[in-house]
Amino acid sequence: MVILQPKQSSTKMDNKLNAFITIVDKVSPGIPIAIKDNICTKGIKTTAGSNVLKDFIPPYNATLVEKLLDNGYSIIGKTNLDAFAHGSSTENSDFGVTHNPYDFDYLPGGSSGGSAAAVGAGLVDVAIGTETAGSIRQPSAWCGVVGLKPTYGAVSRYGVIAMASSMDCPGVIANNVTNAAKVLEVISGNDLHDATSSDCPPYVFKKLNLSELKIGIPTSYLKVCTPEVLAKFEEVKKTFQKLGHQVVQIEMMDPSIAVAVYTILQRSEVSSNLARFDGIRYGATRDNFNLENQRRILLGTHTLSAGFYDAYYTKAQKVRNLIALDFKKKFEEEKIDLIISPTTPTVAQKIGSSLNDPLFGELADQLVEPSTLAGLPGMSIPCGFVGKLPVGFQIIGPRFSENLIINLALQYEKFK
Amino acid sequence: MQVTPIIGLEVHVELNTKSKMFCACSASHFQAEPNTHTCPVCLGLPGALPVPNKTAIDYCIKLGLALNCQINNISFFERKHYFYPDLPKGYQITQALKPFCINGYLEIEDQKIRINRAHMEEDAGKNIHENGQTKVDFNRAGVPLVEIVSEPDIHSAEIAKKYLIRMQQTVRYLGISDADIEKGSMRCEPTINLKIEENGKTFYTPLVEIKNIAGLSGVLDAINYEITRQTQEFKETRQEKNNPPAGGKTTRGWNADKKETFIQRNKEGSADYRYFPEPDIPPFENLEYDKNLPELPSDKIKKYLAWGISPIDAEALVDDQNFAQCFQKAVDKNIDLAKSIANLFLGPLKINLEIEKINPIFFKNLIKALDQKQISSTVAKQVILESYQTQQDPLDIAQNKNLLQVSDTNKIEEIAQKVISDNPKAVEDYTKNPNSIGFLVGQVMKASSGSANPQLAKEILQKLLK
Repeated sequence: MVILQPKQSSTKMDNKLNAFITIVDKVSPGIPIAIKDNICTKGIKTTAGSNVLKDFIPPYNATLVEKLLDNGYSIIGKTNLDAFAHGSSTENSDFGVTHNPYDFDYLPGGSSGGSAAAVGAGLVDVAIGTETAGSIRQPSAWCGVVGLKPTYGAVSRYGVIAMASSMDCPGVIANNVTNAAKVLEVISGNDLHDATSSDCPPYVFKKLNLSELKIGIPTSYLKVCTPEVLAKFEEVKKTFQKLGHQVVQIEMMDPSIAVAVYTILQRSEVSSNLARFDGIRYGATRDNFNLENQRRILLGTHTLSAGFYDAYYTKAQKVRNLIALDFKKKFEEEKIDLIISPTTPTVAQKIGSSLNDPLFGELADQLVEPSTLAGLPGMSIPCGFVGKLPVGFQIIGPRFSENLIINLALQYEKFK
Repeated sequence: MQVTPIIGLEVHVELNTKSKMFCACSASHFQAEPNTHTCPVCLGLPGALPVPNKTAIDYCIKLGLALNCQINNISFFERKHYFYPDLPKGYQITQALKPFCINGYLEIEDQKIRINRAHMEEDAGKNIHENGQTKVDFNRAGVPLVEIVSEPDIHSAEIAKKYLIRMQQTVRYLGISDADIEKGSMRCEPTINLKIEENGKTFYTPLVEIKNIAGLSGVLDAINYEITRQTQEFKETRQEKNNPPAGGKTTRGWNADKKETFIQRNKEGSADYRYFPEPDIPPFENLEYDKNLPELPSDKIKKYLAWGISPIDAEALVDDQNFAQCFQKAVDKNIDLAKSIANLFLGPLKINLEIEKINPIFFKNLIKALDQKQISSTVAKQVILESYQTQQDPLDIAQNKNLLQVSDTNKIEEIAQKVISDNPKAVEDYTKNPNSIGFLVGQVMKASSGSANPQLAKEILQKLLK
């Protein structure tokens, strides 16, 4: 395992990138780590990227923050995100957009865009992100870094400002696979403060000698990708074949179905989770919710309303079960060990492109949304560039297959 | 015009668990310094998550079993959304679709009041209106509540009262709440309308839910007020249930000073609560629970009636669990003596009893002596209390105090002679009216310190005065 080197002064380079909302003045000695600003840090402002919480200083630490501090990590700053993680660009942040470290005219992706950009720019080796559907993997792909979204329930959500509770999952953005694994070892494990956290023991890395894995590629995922991305992914496929794995095409549900299901469920939960921000006990008043926040609250309120609930929420839940079943069939009946695909259909988009497109994120994230709905772990790994901009591919596995995913990612990283 | 009230009751019982429903804060909020029992979870801080209190769920299921409910194989929490300053998360965690307990009943006298459900939820905080300001105290936010919803099987305020008393006794027997209606740890919201039969036709008046009632008598007064008001309103408006414009369910408040209900809101304009399954708490499948229940008030009543005790006495005996246990210990296996022992309990022993100080042998001896007229019932009542206090055999006490019943004719005759000579006026009265002998018998009893056999005393007096 690589020992992380402290880079305490690195956040000073943040001026142009705008990856951080808060930079910690006096960083205590330790392994530097950046934390997405929707995760509560005791005594350090936690805004969730929103003016509603622009002055909110939590009186408590999220469980994962406690664990990091207990294990010698030191918080260097809180990273930018779309307000309340609503978006896939950081353009919905009330603290300004973050720039892509590879080309400042481009988006870093989101919602964990600040964390991905900070790691991509080399300001810090590891950062914590959160993913509801794509918010770790998509910005990691666009910023050329490793993004690990664990199994739902593997990492405690306590202290993570909720977006869609049934899918929210904290994870790691890192400069390499090993560092991502190392942080996962610290933050995973059961938490008595989170009733949805799994009983599984914390993740421990175990080296595996992988050969002849059966790796599936969903045909339907490739149809939505640009030719440039597909060309890079073709190289990934060849690499795995050279490594002795069996790579097969598999038929899976069209990812656009997952987009519809995800949009309904996520908006529904958002409308409920944001109800507590009434400005009475803490935070600013509700008129500080930005346009995207308001859109999601309105849509979610509608889908939970009497008379619409069954047509939207109940139906979406049913399809969600079918999506989970679709993956289960692949892993259990068709004996697929892991699934790979491009992480995103395109490389990073230009700054400004998400602003007039409420479904920008859902399209940018459509290749990660199905596995998110099923609660599965996934990891995005850099696999080259299109021009100046990075491309990433993802590995998806069954629940709690993090070790297999990480070993395959390590094998790829080493071979390349 | 024949009027039948149709009443359903929603009862909230605040559980006496150590901690709140979803966090580790103390649940004991009564008279605590405001906002001292709070944490990120019950204040609804960003990122905080609810973790269900297992003891509270056990208590809810225990109550469900005591109310003869089925326990759902699958149950889950849901979020009920509404905005109110005392509701920190903007929603209440409750149970709508799949509560822990469904389809039960509570027995009162020979009637079964069906229970629709007993579900678990969290209480809200408290708004305190002071000098034109509103302050919020969150000590109560997140305190566990069980809500018990009856079917509309209640047809009078009297039965509603009996239902509430039996519910309160049941809850207290289970030891899950002090169920104090005056303190608010048990609260009741009746829903009421009327069935009106007139000229061979049947009408139903619109449903009214009454909120904010404090105290048991308040519930009765509010129900009775509403019966009168709805009858009057029907005569004036002929408005029926489900008939627009005013046939929907309305919520009325209770003004305890004026003793009247007042309109709070029409349900037409009411909130859509947007229930959906609470994603922060996984559903419960095949919950394990303890099926053992203590002997409940309704069980005890049945038993006491079978022992020949009157319904009124049976009710009085079961009201307090410890008292009923003491009574049963005193009866022991001597069921034939139960009725006489009950008289002692509802007389001199109607005090706070300690069960260790109840000795069944003392009771057996005493009642036998009473049956054999060795002592009078007056003396029995007198010595049983002393026996309880001193732990001596009641018959020893009677003997030491010379209170054993005197059936010695000579001795009673001696006393009677003295009573006759001391009370010439009473003797004169007796000659005019033989029914007035009671006074003279009383004097004999008094002179013998209650130990004379009153029947014998009467016969001797009659003989001497012939």
